[in-house]
Amino acid sequence: MPYASRMPEHSAETALDDATLARRIAQTAPGIDSTAEAELCRRLAPRVRLYGLKHLRNESAAADLVQQVLLTTLQRLRAGRLREPGQIASYVLGTCRMVVLDLRRGHARRERLLETYGEGLAPADAPEPLAFDSARLRLCLERLSVRECTVLIMSFYDDMPSEEVGSELGLTAANIRVIRHRGLERLRDCVTGKGLP
Amino acid sequence: MLSEYWLAELDAATEAQVEEHLLGCGACSRELEELAALVTCMRQLVRQGAVHTVVPNAFVRRLAEQGLRVREYNVPHNGSVNCTVAPGDDVVVAHLQAPLQGIERLDLVEGEARERLYDIPFNAKHGEVVVTPRVEDLRKLPASTHRMRLVAVDASGERVIGEYTFNHTPYSGQSSAT
Repeated sequence: MPYASRMPEHSAETALDDATLARRIAQTAPGIDSTAEAELCRRLAPRVRLYGLKHLRNESAAADLVQQVLLTTLQRLRAGRLREPGQIASYVLGTCRMVVLDLRRGHARRERLLETYGEGLAPADAPEPLAFDSARLRLCLERLSVRECTVLIMSFYDDMPSEEVGSELGLTAANIRVIRHRGLERLRDCVTGKGLP
Repeated sequence: MLSEYWLAELDAATEAQVEEHLLGCGACSRELEELAALVTCMRQLVRQGAVHTVVPNAFVRRLAEQGLRVREYNVPHNGSVNCTVAPGDDVVVAHLQAPLQGIERLDLVEGEARERLYDIPFNAKHGEVVVTPRVEDLRKLPASTHRMRLVAVDASGERVIGEYTFNHTPYSGQSSAT
């Protein structure tokens, strides 16, 4: 069963910060503080997934990254091998970088870790991604100015930096960034209900 | 800052700082998650030909390279085309040929209702405006004639610089884009 579904939404652990949870896990070893582990995984899983999406541009590779980073982090905490559990974000970032390199090389550390530590250490399933109502987003895109709509589509469809978008549209990169920023703000307001009844 | 991060526009040191912050901050990572979800949904809409807008030709070429079925119509300056939309088409594109040199602002006026898209993006060097109508709307059209006009706007007023006629027929199984 994934940790995310074992964890009640409003347990005492939800009030603790990440560093406190990490310390609790480290201090409980060789015992297992499953509620602290579950809460830490519930928080870190979506953040690591986003890191994966940014660097791997692939949903299933991002899900692999989540599994491997959380497994490695818990393993390290349980073994008391994380010198400063208070610096958990920094450790997770370092692990994300290593695992992304690994995934790019096609290595399969995940299987080795699962083999060694088994299901008892298996962290959260890949978090369910947030989704928007596409009909509403379409309406909102068309309520933007045409320039904003075009710049947003060109920027985010192909993850294209402002210099390239600008050269295709005959505008400066600075101009593109201004249009993109304004368009994104208006689009967010619209899809979240602030700008569209 | 998050969109610059997502589009890899930050220098390495700033990107590392942002990443460390995101991994430790639930509120900011939720904001990034919202951006990622918007991007995913926007991509789906583009692939479904669901967004009515104006894009450069290079963008259309990338869609075709990615395997989308793009139906394209090249419409001569002040000319017309016979057009349709086939069941397998993902995106439909109209290339409106026009003399764009020296134009400051350009509006696109569509249909008898004169729906107007103000200040559309264009690159004068390309000599065309590329319009993507909504495929779903085209599929609902009966045999009919539609018009688009490109209107240049400057301090002295406005003038029509091109008129384009689309003779649409529902798909019959025998049609080709130009």
